Amino acid sequence: MPGVILVSSEQPSLALELLGQARRLADGVGSEVRLCVSGRLDAADLAIYASYGADLVYATDQPVSDPCEWADILTGVIADSLPVLLLVGATKTGMEVAPRVAERCDASYAAWAVGIEIEAGFTTTTASCMLYAGTGLATYRFSRPVTILSVAPGVFEVFAQEGRVARVEPVAVSERPPRLSVLGDRAKSSSGARLQGARVVIDVGRGVKNQGDLELIRTLASLLDGQLSCSRPVSSDRDWFGEWLGLSGVKIKPDLCLTIGISGAVQHVVGIRDSRVIASVNNDENAAIFTQADIGVVADLNEFVPVLIERLKSRGAHPAWL
Amino acid sequence: MRIIALVKYSMDVAEIKVDPGTRALRMNGVPHRFGDLDKGAVEAAIRLKEAGDAVVEVVCFGPSGALGAMKDLLAMGADEATVIEDPYDGAADAAVVVRVIESALRKLTPFDLVICGFASDDGYSYQMGPRLAERLDLPLVSYASQVGVEDGILVADRDLEAGLQTVSTPLPAIVSVAEEAFVPRSVTLLQAMKAQKKPTNLWSLADLGLASEGLDAVFGYSPLGETGIVVNRRRHLLKDSKLAEMADGLIDYLVDEQVLVAEGGA
Repeated sequence: MPGVILVSSEQPSLALELLGQARRLADGVGSEVRLCVSGRLDAADLAIYASYGADLVYATDQPVSDPCEWADILTGVIADSLPVLLLVGATKTGMEVAPRVAERCDASYAAWAVGIEIEAGFTTTTASCMLYAGTGLATYRFSRPVTILSVAPGVFEVFAQEGRVARVEPVAVSERPPRLSVLGDRAKSSSGARLQGARVVIDVGRGVKNQGDLELIRTLASLLDGQLSCSRPVSSDRDWFGEWLGLSGVKIKPDLCLTIGISGAVQHVVGIRDSRVIASVNNDENAAIFTQADIGVVADLNEFVPVLIERLKSRGAHPAWL
Repeated sequence: MRIIALVKYSMDVAEIKVDPGTRALRMNGVPHRFGDLDKGAVEAAIRLKEAGDAVVEVVCFGPSGALGAMKDLLAMGADEATVIEDPYDGAADAAVVVRVIESALRKLTPFDLVICGFASDDGYSYQMGPRLAERLDLPLVSYASQVGVEDGILVADRDLEAGLQTVSTPLPAIVSVAEEAFVPRSVTLLQAMKAQKKPTNLWSLADLGLASEGLDAVFGYSPLGETGIVVNRRRHLLKDSKLAEMADGLIDYLVDEQVLVAEGGA
C-alpha cells in the first residue's frame, strides 16, 4: 500500500481528530490510514477507530506513557508501514515524542500544523504551521521520505462513517529499561469543565487573584451557562484548574468567550481566537486583549463582576439557546 | 559540577505586527532578547550552583550581537558565555540547530547537566531538548518545574497535563524547564559590573568543525512563505462610565450578537 498516513496520540479525543484529517487526505490520494495507540484493544474500541477513519490499528501489548517508549514504538511502526506522513497529537508527551522520532527516522518535522496537503503520487507534502507562537502561519514543503507534523487539539474535525472496518496489529513494547525512574505522581485538580462544545467559556487570567474572586466568577458562569477556564500562568501558579487555554493548551470555539483579568499574550489568544464573540474585562486600558476583543470593559473586575451579575439578574438575561 | 545552559536570543513575538491589508508580517524593528524561558534555564542552573558547587556556562546559537545581551545572564550568576554565530539568521530548521548545539556540547565535554527551556519564546516548537537527548543519547527530564542534584543523581518534578511527576536519573542528563517554573532573578548594579569581567567567546561554525554546506543538507523543508494572522474584532471599548452602565452596555452588545436574551425589566 503506497503512502500510508500514520496517526498517533495518547489522548483519545485528539487521536480521533487526527484520524479525521488523515482520512480526508488519504481519500484524496488513495492511501491507507493507520493509527497507533497504547494498550490492548477490544472489538468495540476497534469498531470506533474504524468508524472514525482508521484502516489498521497498531495496539501496544502494554500501556505506554514514557515519551522514549512512545518513540521506540513509533520508530518500529514507521519501519513497518513506511508512511509518507505521521500526525502526532500536540500534547506535552506528543511534542517530546515527535522530534525524537524525527531524529531517529531522519524525517522532516514541523510543529503546530493547521493545514496539510499531499500531492497525488505522494511526490510532495506541504503544510501550513503556526509560527511565532501563533502570530503567523508558515508554509513548508517537506523534503524527506517521511514527514512528521504535530497538531493541536481542536484544529481538525473528526470524520465518522458507519460500516467501516479496521484490522488490528499488536505491537510489542520495547524491553529497553527506561532512562528515568518515576518516584511519584501527583494528580492536578481537575476543574471538571467541559470546554469542547461549550457555548460560553469564561476565561480567567492573572488579574483574578484569590479564591473569593473565583467564587464570584463561578456565579457569573452559572448565569451564563458557561464553563470556566484560564490562562497558562493561572493554571501553573494556582491549583484551581488542571487545564488552560492557549497554544500549549486547549483551543475553544464557543459563541462567547468572556475574558476576565486576561492580558492578551499571543500564546494565550491562540486558544480563544476562534470564538464567535470575545468580550473582555481588564482594568488596564492598554491591555493587548482589547485589540483582540469585540467588546471590552475597562474596569476593576472585583467591582465590575458583582454589578454585571446584578444587571444580568435584574434584566432576566440568559443565553439565547436556553 | 559543570552545567551548560542553552539560550536563544529570540524575537519578542508580541512586537510582531501584521499588515491588515496584505497580511504580511512586519519583522523590521522587532526586538530580540533572552526571553523568560531562556532566562528560566539560566535561573535553574544558577539555583543548582547555589545549592552545591557548580560552574555555569551559557551557550547561544545566534547573532554576534547577542554577546552583549549575554552580560545580563552573566550578571545573574553564570560564569562564562559563548555565542555561536548563526549564518541562518534564526531561520534554520531545528534539525540544523540541534547539530550545531550537539557539536558545541561535544567540544565542551565533559559536562554534567544541560539545561534549556522546553521551547523557545519565538519558535515555540519544543524541539531542542528531545532532539539533543536523541543525538547525545542522554536522559531528558522535560517540562521540569523543580530540580535538585544529590550524589550525581538528578531529581526533578515534571509539570505534565495530568499532574506533577517526580523522576530521577543519573548524570549526565538534559533538563528542559517548564514555563513560569524558574522566574529569573533581577540583578544588582554590582553584579552587572562584575559580569563585565567574565569571559565571553564568539565561535563560528568552523570552530566546531561544521560547514554550512553540510548543514544545508539537513534542512527537512523549504519555506514557501509566511503570512500573519489577521484578527478582525470589533474592538468596541466601554470605559469611564458607571459600572452599571458598562454592564448594561455589555449585556446589550451580547443581546445584539444573539448570545443573550434579556426578558426585560430594569
